[in-house]
Amino acid sequence: MIDFNLLIEYYPLLLQGVQLSLQIAFLGCGIGACVGTLLGIVLSGNNYLAKLFAQIYVSIIRGTPMLIQITATYLLLKISGVPISALWSATISIGLNSGAYLSQTILTGITSVNKGQLEAAKTLGFSKAQTIRYIIFPQAIRTVLPNLESEIVTLIKDSSLASTIGVYELSNQGKIIISQTFDAPTIYFAIALIYLIMTTTITILMSLLNKKINYHAKS
Amino acid sequence: MLSLKNISKQFHHKIIVDNVSFSVRPGEIIVLLGKSGVGKSTILRMLTGLESYDTGSILYNEQPLQSNLVGMVFQDFNLFPHLTVLENITLPLQKIAKKSISDSKKIGIDLLTTYELAAQANIYPQSLSGGQKQRVAFARTLAMQPTIICCDEPTSALDPVLTSKVAQEINKLANQGLIVIIATHDTELIKQMPCTIYLMKHGKIIETATSQALADNPDMFPDIKNFTQGGTSDTTYI
Repeated sequence: MIDFNLLIEYYPLLLQGVQLSLQIAFLGCGIGACVGTLLGIVLSGNNYLAKLFAQIYVSIIRGTPMLIQITATYLLLKISGVPISALWSATISIGLNSGAYLSQTILTGITSVNKGQLEAAKTLGFSKAQTIRYIIFPQAIRTVLPNLESEIVTLIKDSSLASTIGVYELSNQGKIIISQTFDAPTIYFAIALIYLIMTTTITILMSLLNKKINYHAKS
Repeated sequence: MLSLKNISKQFHHKIIVDNVSFSVRPGEIIVLLGKSGVGKSTILRMLTGLESYDTGSILYNEQPLQSNLVGMVFQDFNLFPHLTVLENITLPLQKIAKKSISDSKKIGIDLLTTYELAAQANIYPQSLSGGQKQRVAFARTLAMQPTIICCDEPTSALDPVLTSKVAQEINKLANQGLIVIIATHDTELIKQMPCTIYLMKHGKIIETATSQALADNPDMFPDIKNFTQGGTSDTTYI
């Protein structure tokens, strides 16, 4: 049976976990969007060396487990003497991982823009940076947005991996509460429900945003 | 004056443009006539800086041509689908010509009014007909005040009535002192405006005539006459 009194007693701890999970997911997604955009632009460009570097980066990140990446990032930063918290180390690691995946989505978005439009922009006098900012990006975002939604949802769930380096996000808070109360069913039920509420809310909000952006394209 | 001197270009060891030379004065219309693949569009792309050339030179008033002097109306119009008709015109004005929002809007509305598109200012290009899209493409290019305007197959998507209108618009541009260079295989278009015709084959200009001389004495220009009468097979002129 679910013990609701237990949940009322421990909800401040769970809320702290929610806050950290969301922080990791959103900041990670922000870092991922920046890294992914940069990689997407490089991968769609003509610089062979930069492209090779980007492809190697994407292959390494996509070919190794995120758990290993989080641990390795934390250990490397610690060994290097970088004064960074476990929370930030996990956020950066998750962001770098997300960037590799998002780069493929952003690359698709960039290449979906008709080449003729890029030529039109060039003949009108747009620089490469202006073409990306004013022509490619607004169109690519329509392709990227649905994938960004699933990426944020994935990151909310993957934020639990930060517990391996001692970050007290939602699932780790749950483990601590279970160790104190020995009521695993109640806590796991609550954690699952909270994850479901967070991911469903994100899905609804992103769907609304997607509809709003695509409304103009169909007008 | 715009001068192309001995321009050549190869692509994958295939000659696309072969030693092409011609000169155009302000107010003149040049028509590069020929079937698909003879190098007409490549010449326009060289003028706009979209393609390089292997040999020769392109000069404007004896100086290397600056691509910002050249405007291009593409065969597929290449309007920006995420921007309204008006924004298609105002964005380059604001970001490239550094006009204020109000000035660029005024220029845009004036041009759209000229092209009878003021009512469509706030709709998106995908809602326009082919003819309307083309007029927007003209308006967008002209807003940047080019000295030379290149039109790639400007009538390929148009019916005879609209073709006639496009010819009138091109005439107007030439009368305003612009250099107009058109790549087309549409022989109806050249009958409707005073121009100099360069017939192209295998990347070369094989015959030249003014539209007036062609009308007066077509037999003097057998290749162009043959082409305009549709008497050539694709294999002859590709």
